[in-house]
Amino acid sequence: MELNICHLYPDVLNLYGDTGNILCMRRRLAWRGINSAVQRVRVGEKLDLTNCDLLLIGGGQDFEQEVLLPDLRAGKSETLRSAIEDGICVLAICGGYQMLGQYYETWQGVRCDFVGALDLYTVGSQQRMIGNTVYRFRKPDGSESTLVGFENHSGKTWLGEGVEALARVEVGYGNNGEDGTEGVHFKNVFGSYSHGPLLPKNPAFCDLLLQTALERRYGRAELEALDDSAEQAAHDAMLHRLIK
Amino acid sequence: MKMSSRALLAIWVCRLLRTGSRLLHRGGTALPGKAAQKLCPDLLSRLSDNVTTVAVTGTNGKTTCSRMIEEAFREAGVSYFANRSGANLMSGVITEFVMNADAFGRMKKQTAVIECDEAAARTVFGQLKPSVIVVTNLFRDQLDRYGEITHTLSNIREGIRSVPEAVLCLNADCSLTASLKDDGLPNRIVWYGLDAGAARPQTGTLLSDASHCIRCKTEYEYDYHTYAHLGGFRCPKCGYRRPDTDFAVERILSMDDSSSEILFRDPSGENSLKVNLPAVYNLYNAAAAAAAAESAGIRASVCRHALSDFSCGFGRMESFPLAGGTRMILVKNPAGCTQALEYLAGIEKDYVLVVCLNDHSADGTDVSWIWDAGFEMLEPMKDRIRKLWVSGDRAQDMRVRLKYAGLPDERMTVETDMGRLAENLKQESLPVYILPTYTAMLALRGEIVRRCGGAEFWE
Ligand SMILES: [Zn+2]
Repeated sequence: MELNICHLYPDVLNLYGDTGNILCMRRRLAWRGINSAVQRVRVGEKLDLTNCDLLLIGGGQDFEQEVLLPDLRAGKSETLRSAIEDGICVLAICGGYQMLGQYYETWQGVRCDFVGALDLYTVGSQQRMIGNTVYRFRKPDGSESTLVGFENHSGKTWLGEGVEALARVEVGYGNNGEDGTEGVHFKNVFGSYSHGPLLPKNPAFCDLLLQTALERRYGRAELEALDDSAEQAAHDAMLHRLIK
Repeated sequence: MKMSSRALLAIWVCRLLRTGSRLLHRGGTALPGKAAQKLCPDLLSRLSDNVTTVAVTGTNGKTTCSRMIEEAFREAGVSYFANRSGANLMSGVITEFVMNADAFGRMKKQTAVIECDEAAARTVFGQLKPSVIVVTNLFRDQLDRYGEITHTLSNIREGIRSVPEAVLCLNADCSLTASLKDDGLPNRIVWYGLDAGAARPQTGTLLSDASHCIRCKTEYEYDYHTYAHLGGFRCPKCGYRRPDTDFAVERILSMDDSSSEILFRDPSGENSLKVNLPAVYNLYNAAAAAAAAESAGIRASVCRHALSDFSCGFGRMESFPLAGGTRMILVKNPAGCTQALEYLAGIEKDYVLVVCLNDHSADGTDVSWIWDAGFEMLEPMKDRIRKLWVSGDRAQDMRVRLKYAGLPDERMTVETDMGRLAENLKQESLPVYILPTYTAMLALRGEIVRRCGGAEFWE
């Protein structure tokens, strides 16, 4: 078995250890004897998702986001929309998460149209939402677990009718600091404000993504259990610090 | 400037508080300065009037570069003072000036080397009135504290605007730093850097903190790289490019794990010289220090000699008297940490690795940067790393990072008690390499010094 991973905009959306998410996926696949390949698609390069199983988009600085808008309009937006409709598994963090939505409106009222693949939009605020986070997350099998991470954003994201939140905020701000939601889940797209990076300390969530991608490609996939004592210890350490 | 009674009161309060904190064996330099500033907001400006100051700011290398400049002053016989204990915000700089003034506010020494936090440059420069300003580089660092890089850049720019007479020593290889040269900036600029002959193969991460032109947002092309985003950049669209250098490392003749032999060019000509520190990033510090010391009037030959004699301390490649030898290398952001790891990957003997990760505000509360540092570079050498200690408040995060870098989890020990860690290191017969973040460095350094000797940090 093998998975093809695509890292979109590694040159500009690379602010918060997002490559750690890719490293985490690849190691967890390799430990189970599953091969993976990573294709990096930079600004100005063609995006072809035909053979891609897992797409990752990270977060960036405001300055760098300006580079992206013309590049998205030149074809990538359309490719992303149809791949997402088609069920590609996506992990989008912070700026990359905002980018998949309808638009971003700056604090000064300037509106930038984004990809439009997900029914959500983001409005800039003057509040910087920073800190360690704990989210409560319902797994597809109905059981509950926690996600720990770190957020740092000033955009407030609001979800529309057509999508669900990824998780509920226990500690931190999440999407907007107001409605208690964090991130998005739509088809096989998972969006989150949490970097840190998100996956290494939340190994079960990482495995959920891998499982989703493998099932889409192979129909069925059983992931062998791994020794996650180090990952779990790091998860629990943050949990204990934030929640007594 | 004449000292008002207000200023004098501020000086006395500051001295009193400082003496008090020393008696309590605390190295605190912030509180006395803060109190003084409250009493007399322009105190620093009054004290700095007759002092010739070299100020050093930028993301990485401030302390090492400042120490190198000090060494040049020392060898030239200049009587100077410096803020040595990392007290590089307005409050710390004020404290340092007060402690070097007499009770009537007259400075005892007329020359100073002042390290200045890049976020504080905006307010400090105007009062400090430095005659030379060094900007070492700009990297992504503690975004939770400083906001984005361009924001840090504009802080420094605003600081410089308040001192049009200051000579600027700027890193020509850093596209962010070099962009400080505005149209219409009246300051004289001295450029330093590593020329094409000192280029290095690109190692570590592919990440760049500045991949696109700061002026027109086109992707840069590079004639050569040195490390991270530093090197011979040029913008294919608007023509913004690396400036020609006045002080440059032209070639690296040899480099081992304790020093480098380089061909160095300054306005007096070319010379081969030894820089008594390992690693490429210290060549930038050396070139910056030579540029700054000469701009402050020190003879070029003295500046060069100082680089050969220089030995550093306080967690910057600092050694301690342990049986197998030690090096403590402060790490605080991906670019600097990757450089430290490149150095470790080049060590050809067995050793013990210690990584201490804290997330206090001085370290950066966001530890995600450890995933952008190239710990993978250690994987091919993992058999040489005989033992691995992880420590600090975020030791568990570090353990996971190292596991995913491919280092054996079973060889790792989590020890969050710095005293016990130091005790273990003291027993060690192999060389020990320690990578701590800032507050972890202070804590572990204290424990090691207590057991094995070395200078207290405020001395
Ligand atoms: Zn340009």
